[in-house]
Amino acid sequence: MSLADGLLVLFFAFLGVAIIVTLVSSGRSGPLLMALFGAASGALLVAAGAVILAGGRPVDLSLWSIPGLGALHLALDPLSALFLIVAGLVFLPVSIFSAGYARRYEGRYSLKAMAVNSYALFASIALLLSTDSLLLFLLAWEGVALFSYLLVNFEHDHAPTRSAAYLFLVMAEAGTAAVVVAFMLLANGAHSFDFAEIRAAASSAGPGIRWAVFLLSFFGFGVKAGIVPVNAWLPRAHPAAPANVSAIMSGTVLNMGLYGILRTNGDLLPLTQVAPGVIVLLVGALSAIVGILYATTANDLKTMLAHSSIENIGIVVAGFGGAFVFAASGRGDLAAILVTAALYHMTNHSLYKSLLFMGAGSVDEAVGTRDLDRLGGLARWMPLTSIFFLAGALSIAAIPPFNGFVSEWLTFQGILRSAELASRAVQVAFVLAGACLALTAALAITCFVKAFAMGFLGVARSPEVRRARERPLITVFSLGIPAALCLLLGILPTYVIPALDRAARPVVVETSSAVELVPPFFAPPPYSGELPEGFVRDFHDIGAQVGQGLLPGRGLVVLHRGGPDRHVVFAMAPSYMILLLVLLGGGTYVVVRVASRSRSLRRARQWDGGLHRLPHELTYTATGFSNPVRVIFRGIFRPRTIEDLHETMSEHFRGPIRRQYEEVHVVTRLFVKPLTRSARWLSDNLARMHSGKINTYVGYVLITLAVFVVLAWFT
Amino acid sequence: MAGWFLKGVALGVKTTKYPRRAEQAPGVSPGLPRPTRFLDAAQAQEVASRCPTGALSASGSEVAVDARKCIHCYRCLRSDGAAMSWSDDYDWADVPESATGQGRPLGFEPRFRRSVNILVVDAGDCGACLNEIAQLAAPQYNLHRLGFFLTPTPRHADLLMVVGPVTDAMRYPLLAAYEAMPEPKRVMAVGTCALGGSVFGPSFIAGGGVAELLPVDVEVPGNPPPPLAILHALRVVSGQIRGARR
Repeated sequence: MSLADGLLVLFFAFLGVAIIVTLVSSGRSGPLLMALFGAASGALLVAAGAVILAGGRPVDLSLWSIPGLGALHLALDPLSALFLIVAGLVFLPVSIFSAGYARRYEGRYSLKAMAVNSYALFASIALLLSTDSLLLFLLAWEGVALFSYLLVNFEHDHAPTRSAAYLFLVMAEAGTAAVVVAFMLLANGAHSFDFAEIRAAASSAGPGIRWAVFLLSFFGFGVKAGIVPVNAWLPRAHPAAPANVSAIMSGTVLNMGLYGILRTNGDLLPLTQVAPGVIVLLVGALSAIVGILYATTANDLKTMLAHSSIENIGIVVAGFGGAFVFAASGRGDLAAILVTAALYHMTNHSLYKSLLFMGAGSVDEAVGTRDLDRLGGLARWMPLTSIFFLAGALSIAAIPPFNGFVSEWLTFQGILRSAELASRAVQVAFVLAGACLALTAALAITCFVKAFAMGFLGVARSPEVRRARERPLITVFSLGIPAALCLLLGILPTYVIPALDRAARPVVVETSSAVELVPPFFAPPPYSGELPEGFVRDFHDIGAQVGQGLLPGRGLVVLHRGGPDRHVVFAMAPSYMILLLVLLGGGTYVVVRVASRSRSLRRARQWDGGLHRLPHELTYTATGFSNPVRVIFRGIFRPRTIEDLHETMSEHFRGPIRRQYEEVHVVTRLFVKPLTRSARWLSDNLARMHSGKINTYVGYVLITLAVFVVLAWFT
Repeated sequence: MAGWFLKGVALGVKTTKYPRRAEQAPGVSPGLPRPTRFLDAAQAQEVASRCPTGALSASGSEVAVDARKCIHCYRCLRSDGAAMSWSDDYDWADVPESATGQGRPLGFEPRFRRSVNILVVDAGDCGACLNEIAQLAAPQYNLHRLGFFLTPTPRHADLLMVVGPVTDAMRYPLLAAYEAMPEPKRVMAVGTCALGGSVFGPSFIAGGGVAELLPVDVEVPGNPPPPLAILHALRVVSGQIRGARR
């Protein structure tokens, strides 16, 4: 039994103990136990994953065998190890956060239920990731859906919560049904449910089977990931769920969908055609743009974050799609880069989205509202929470030196490499996707400038804001963990990328990309054996070796080793960028101080036009800030404004004017509505055959019998 | 297409020649009464008593004029009896005693010689003085040629030009605007109301002029003062010429 085996077994045993202890313990100690057990199990999981990613032996544990179904065993390869680490990194801070946050439900709802359900969800996620048998996989998949549903439905006496949770359950189960069909097709030729045998058997599948498996698994798993057009549950479930549950859902459950897509289409039955990859790419780009458009215009902090999850998952899926296309076109090196970039973005998204959801929860708890039009100026009353929320906002808006920048940069550069593909049509698809992603990145900045500026800066827009106080230290601390990780992943990608490269190994056949991505440039020579000479020469020409021998580690991310005449395509030095930023900022400060030493400084109030005080009605609101986006993209939003001006008493006296603004999500309008309408039409027409007379039904039986007799006669 | 251009050339330059040559056009200034000596004290008393604002005061057979209060009603001029003598000039700007008494030299800031940025604050003006100030930017007066510029923000302003008697509601904004101006800065009170409140104050709604709040450097009498009088005051405040002391 290796170290990783032990840690994994310990984790499951620990969660079992945690569930039992929680069930028998008194209610008073619930939140504290939740923090302890959650954080400890999260740490265990991170450790287990890290051992494997660091080069430890993959887990292979045989469990009991079930007659007729074969032996069940646990197995962890580097890919699942990465997902395990991410899940653990989300669970660790969120559990600590829950301890403070759950107190608001004390006495009204059962905290024990929340604790037990989240442990069970955690266990199912770990099981889902650490199994290599279809049966256990599906069991764990159902567990994830079920316990997520129970957690979303936590405030079960609210009708909107119930309907949102129900919508989630229905969509998740529909997705599961598609996945089950895909797995049945996959396992058809194999004699057991083991991934290894399925992989071997599936390699001989025909194109029809391949397409069916791809479509069913992509959209089936896509429900959990929240891609367009199966994203309807996300913006409804998140505002309904408690903030800690939202953080877990966005940080881990969405990843399970991505894991499924990657495991099925990258590992079990690798895509050999270009077309499915292009579909994945375009669906991802579409999800990104639709998600961010609705995020920019949403005023509820959690709805906004939910829409933004669709956007980020879209970017990841687009990265997967690009990788599938490159892999199918025989460019394994580029595929490896894109998978690495997509996995990087997924990790980043889990971290900053859980951070932002926890921040939104803190704000909700302190102020009592999540409406950005009623918040404002919170930085004065909740300084630490604001700083951590700002870190999350900067990360998600892809501003260096935070982590979002690195992964989006890699994704963009990877997609730009489509110029090396042969097919012109595929190139056009890449260009379209790239343009969508670029627009998405710009809108993401708008969106999170709005979120932070309207929520935390400016004047207080409601009296509740002025009564807000900083959350307890433990809550603030739990926000600090992912914020620090976001910064670390942003400045040390040269250490993260090789690990991610190892994680991408099961998916991509050719993986030496980490060497190309992160050459050891600042380490002292000799490195020339590792790098081709032209490559090194190109770098000397642009002066990248400055500081060689002085600076530690590998400071440079290089996208790709190009052709013989152009070795270096793109490069950036995120680790040294922050050094430079600090130097420039500090240097500017010193210069300004020295230059203005002889001048006297007079501080005056900001000029506000001579107003006695600035009423918040005069300041910019979130609605006003995002209105340009709403106007520019009104072809997509299609808002319906109902103005009721008829409530007048007579010609001269106007009564209250009612103005209603309605918006139907573009996916619901274009995809769900026509589907439900045609289903209803079909069932209406089929219902006509039910006349209610027994003679008719006997007639139907007779006709059926006759048809089968005739069929049997001829065949 | 070039019609506007030809028309403009045919129209010629309409801008006043003021700083180089005195403007002679009729009606360019409503004028002010000049101190006048009458035949006897009774006549002087009678003329002085015609003034509705108390700008005239008789001592012996002489009638003195307080230009700060004159509203150009012409009652001292157009009447059957004796009349004040009248001057049609417009170089009325006055540097009050207080401007010298606050540790600031009367010789003005050399920095103001080339260009002065002006913030106009309407502290309860009836609109007359504002109209005259607005005329300054028109081609006929064109204050920009002399280096004066109107600015909407106190942050860029060197000169605070106040019109109106400073109503209670405008006290705080006026002070705030003055506070927000960078040093060195000057204050100009334009019009009878700004100089002493006139018919509006001191009262329950307005104070008695700008000097109650801020140190006034240049006073422009007149109700309203003609644009050329304001232009003259601007030249005084910028140090282009010396202010007349009456």
